Amino acid sequence: MSDMMPRRPTAIAAWAVIVFLQVPVLVVVLAAFSTTSYLTIPPQGWTLAWFGKVLSDPAWLSAIRMSLFLAAGSTVVALVLGVAAAYAIAHRMLPGSEMLTALVMAPLVMPSVVIGVAMLQYFSLIGLRGSLVGLLCAHVVITVPYIVRSALASLGGLDASLEEAARVLGATGLEAFRLVTLPLIRPGLVAGALFAFITSLDNVPVTIFLISARQTTLPVLIFSSVEMGVDPSVAAISTLLIVVTGLVLLVAERRTGFHRFI
Amino acid sequence: MRPARHGMALAAPLALFLAAFFVMPVLLTLPTSFREYVPGMGITAGSWTLGNYREILADSYYREVMWRTLGLGAAVTLACVLLGYPLAFMIARGPARWRMPMMMLVIFPMMLNLVVRSFGWIALLANRGLVNNLLMDLGLIAAPLKLMFNLTGLMIGLTHIYLPFMVLMLVAAIQNIPRDVEVAAMTLGSSRLHVFTAITLPLTAPGMLAGSILVFVLTISALVTPRMLGGPTFKVMATLIYDEYMQTLDWPTGSALAFVLSGLAIAIIWASSRLTRRWAGTA
Amino acid sequence: MSSLSFDRLGKSYDSVEVVRQISLTVGEGEFVALLGPSGCGKTTILRMVAGLVQPSTGRILIGDEDVTALPPNKRGLGLVFQSYALFPHLTVFENVAFGLRRQGVAAAELKRRVEDALAMVRLHAHGGRYPRQLSGGQQQRVAMARALAPRPRVLLFDEPLSNLDAQLRDEMQIELKRLQRSLGITTLFVTHDQSEALSMADRVCVLANGVMQQFDTPEEVYHRPATAFVASFIGKPNRLPGTIAGRDGAGGTVRLGPGCTLASAHVTAAVGAVVEVVIRHEAIHIVPEGADGLAGTITLRAFNGARVHYVVRLDEGVELVAETASSGALAALAVGTAVRLAIAPEAVFAMVPA
Repeated sequence: MSDMMPRRPTAIAAWAVIVFLQVPVLVVVLAAFSTTSYLTIPPQGWTLAWFGKVLSDPAWLSAIRMSLFLAAGSTVVALVLGVAAAYAIAHRMLPGSEMLTALVMAPLVMPSVVIGVAMLQYFSLIGLRGSLVGLLCAHVVITVPYIVRSALASLGGLDASLEEAARVLGATGLEAFRLVTLPLIRPGLVAGALFAFITSLDNVPVTIFLISARQTTLPVLIFSSVEMGVDPSVAAISTLLIVVTGLVLLVAERRTGFHRFI
Repeated sequence: MRPARHGMALAAPLALFLAAFFVMPVLLTLPTSFREYVPGMGITAGSWTLGNYREILADSYYREVMWRTLGLGAAVTLACVLLGYPLAFMIARGPARWRMPMMMLVIFPMMLNLVVRSFGWIALLANRGLVNNLLMDLGLIAAPLKLMFNLTGLMIGLTHIYLPFMVLMLVAAIQNIPRDVEVAAMTLGSSRLHVFTAITLPLTAPGMLAGSILVFVLTISALVTPRMLGGPTFKVMATLIYDEYMQTLDWPTGSALAFVLSGLAIAIIWASSRLTRRWAGTA
Repeated sequence: MSSLSFDRLGKSYDSVEVVRQISLTVGEGEFVALLGPSGCGKTTILRMVAGLVQPSTGRILIGDEDVTALPPNKRGLGLVFQSYALFPHLTVFENVAFGLRRQGVAAAELKRRVEDALAMVRLHAHGGRYPRQLSGGQQQRVAMARALAPRPRVLLFDEPLSNLDAQLRDEMQIELKRLQRSLGITTLFVTHDQSEALSMADRVCVLANGVMQQFDTPEEVYHRPATAFVASFIGKPNRLPGTIAGRDGAGGTVRLGPGCTLASAHVTAAVGAVVEVVIRHEAIHIVPEGADGLAGTITLRAFNGARVHYVVRLDEGVELVAETASSGALAALAVGTAVRLAIAPEAVFAMVPA
C-alpha cells in the first residue's frame, strides 16, 4: 500500500517553484559583480567596483547606520514592552486580555500604508514629523506584534507548574522568571526578535512617510534610487543585504530552529 | 497569587504605547477624510463633507483602481495556492533529507528585503531586462515584451513576495492531517487521486483559506512592489494613497482611500474568521 | 519539623465555593492523605498551603506561625508536582540545588547536601544528566530530592504517582513511605487513589465537593465510613436501590425486593424511605448451600490473580458482585452453581442518595 507520498510530477513542480523563488535573488547578486550596468547572461565581465563605490559613499553608509540603529532600537523597545505584556496575557493576570491581544496584533491587520499616513498626520500634529523618536516609535508599533506573538507561543508551551516550583523552592517572582521562564522561552524570543529586526530593517511603507530629507533608511534609499533608474551600485548594496540576511537565517536556524517559530 | 494589579503593571506600558502611537494616529486621521480639499488652497476649515467617499465610489478612475486592486489580490492569491500547494506537499510529505533545505529556501526570500526582491524583478522584467534580452538573443521575439508597468509585472512580483506565506500555511495544514485517515481511505479502496480530493484537500481547506486571506490582504495593501513594478502610471489603492499624500497633497481624499482600504482588509479578515469558526463548529 | 493546620479554610471562585470551611491539623511528622474524586477541592487546598492560591476565608498555620499571607517563597515548604515540574534546562544536580541556592547555602555545603539528597533517592550517579534523559520513575525521585534538599518544614505531594505505571507506582509507594518515616517529615499527600491513601497515610481526610467527609485513620475510614459518600467512594461497592423496612437503633432492615431483606447496622433514613444500599464486594461471603443467607445463582466468574469475583443473581432478580480469595474450595465455583450469600449487618450501609 503506497502512502500519500509526492510523486515525480509534484517533485518537479515543487523544485520549479523553489527556483522561481530564488531567481530575482540570483539576478541581483550577478548584477552586483557584473561590469556592465545592464545585466546579460552570461555577464560580460566581473568586478568588485560597485561594492567599493557603495561602501565609500557617505549617503549609503549613513542610511545603513540609520537602518541598523532603528532595527536594533525598535527591537529592544518592542522586546521590553512586548514580553511584559505577553507574560500578563499568558498567565491570565488581567481582565480583557483578548482585547489587548487584538490591539497588539492590529498593526498586522491594518495596511502598512494606512499606518504610514496616519502617523504622518499625527506626527505633523504633535511636532514629531521627521524626528528620530517618531520613526523609532513607528517601528516599535510594527515590530511589537511579532515579539508578542512569539512570546505568547513560547509561554503557552510552558508548564505553569515550573514557575510555581521555583516559587515554592524560595525564588521571588522575578527570580522565578529570570531563572526558569526566561531561559526556557529564550529560543522563541530570539526568533521573534530576529523577525522583528528584519521587519524593521525591511520596512518602506511606513518609514517612507516619516523620514526627513536629511536622514533616510537603507530600503527607502534603495527604493528611491531604483525610481531614478537601475544602477549596479543598488545591486551591490542589495547583495550585501542578501548575504547578511542569509547568514543571519543560517545562524538562527542552527541556534534556535528558527523555522519552527514562523 | 497573581493579582490583576501585577498584570496591569506588566501590560500597561505596551497598552499605553499603542494607544498613543497607533490608536490615536488612526483615529485622528478619520476626521481628515471628511474634510474638503481645494486644489491650491489645501484643507478648508470648518466644513464637513462625505464628498471624498462619494467621489471614490462614483468616480470611474477610482473605481478602476479599486477593482484592479481587488482583482490583483484574487489573481495573486490563486497563483499562490496553485504554485504553493505542490511545494508545500513536497515539504510536508517528501523525503526527510529535503525538508530542511527546501524550507530554508522558502524562508530565505521571505526574510529578504522587499525592495531588493522587487529590484531583482525589475532587472528581469524591464524592457532591456534579462528576460527580454534572452528572448531576443534567442530570436524568439523581435521587440521587447511589455512585462512591467502592467498587470503581468505586478502579478509576477507580488506572487513571488507572498508565495512563502502561503507555503508555510499549507505545510502546517498538510502536516496536521492524521496520516491514518488517508491510509484508512486507501484500505477502503480509494485511489490516490480520490484520497487527495476526498480527504487531503478538504482537510487542508482551513489552512488554505487562512493562507489565502493573508495573501489577499497583504496584496491589496502592498505599496512597495506595485510602486516599483507598476511605475508611476499603473496604480493600485496603496500607491494612490501614497500619491495623494506625498504628491498632490490631497490628504482628505488620501485618508478616505486609506479607510476604504482598511475597511476592505478588516471586513475580509472578519468574514473569514466567521467562516473558520463555522467550519470548526461542524468539524 | 512543624505541624500544619487549617482553620476554617475556604476558597470561592466567582461565588462558587470549591473548598468549604476545612479545619484540620497534620501533627508533627504525620503523613496525612487528602483523598477525593477530581474536583473535590483537594488540589486547591494543597495550592493554598503552598501559597499558589490565596484562600478566601480562614487561616493556614505552620507550627504556630500564620503563613496565610506569606508568598510561596517565604513558607519553607517542599512540593512535589504531579508533572514533577523539573526544570528542563537544568541538570539533575542544579534542579536539586535550586532551593539551596535561593537560601544562599555556601558552595561546599551545597554540594554535600545535593549529593545527600540524591543519595537518599538512589540517584547519586545521575547528577550530571538532564531531566529528559531520565525515566519517569527517576524523574519522580529527582522531584522528591529537589523538594527535600532545602529541608522543608512540611512536604506536600500533588498526585505524585499518577503518571507512573502500576508496578512502579506500588514500588514508589513503599519507597516514599519509608523515606517519609526515616525523615519524620510532616506530609500532606493529595490523591484520588484510595489504595495509595489507605496504604501510605497515618490519617486520611476524605473530601467531596469541597466538604470534609471524614478525617480518621485508614482503618476507621475503611471500616466505619462516616457518610454515604465515604462508604461508596472507599472500596469496591455494590450499589442497589432499596427501601427501609424497619428501624432498630442505629440500624434496621432494608428491603431490596419482594421477599428479600437485609439487616443493616447503618441506617440514616426513616421507615419507608427510598435509599441507596452500599455493600462492598469483599463483605459479601459465599457460603455453602443450606447455610443461612440470601439464595442466588452464579452468573459470571472472573479470576484476576489474587482474587475471584462472582456475579450472583439473587432469586429476587437483584445482582451482586462478591469477592473471595483465589485459592480454596470457594474459588472454583462454576457458573450456574446455586449459592447462599452471607452479609454482616455492619457491612451494609443504607443511605439517602446524595
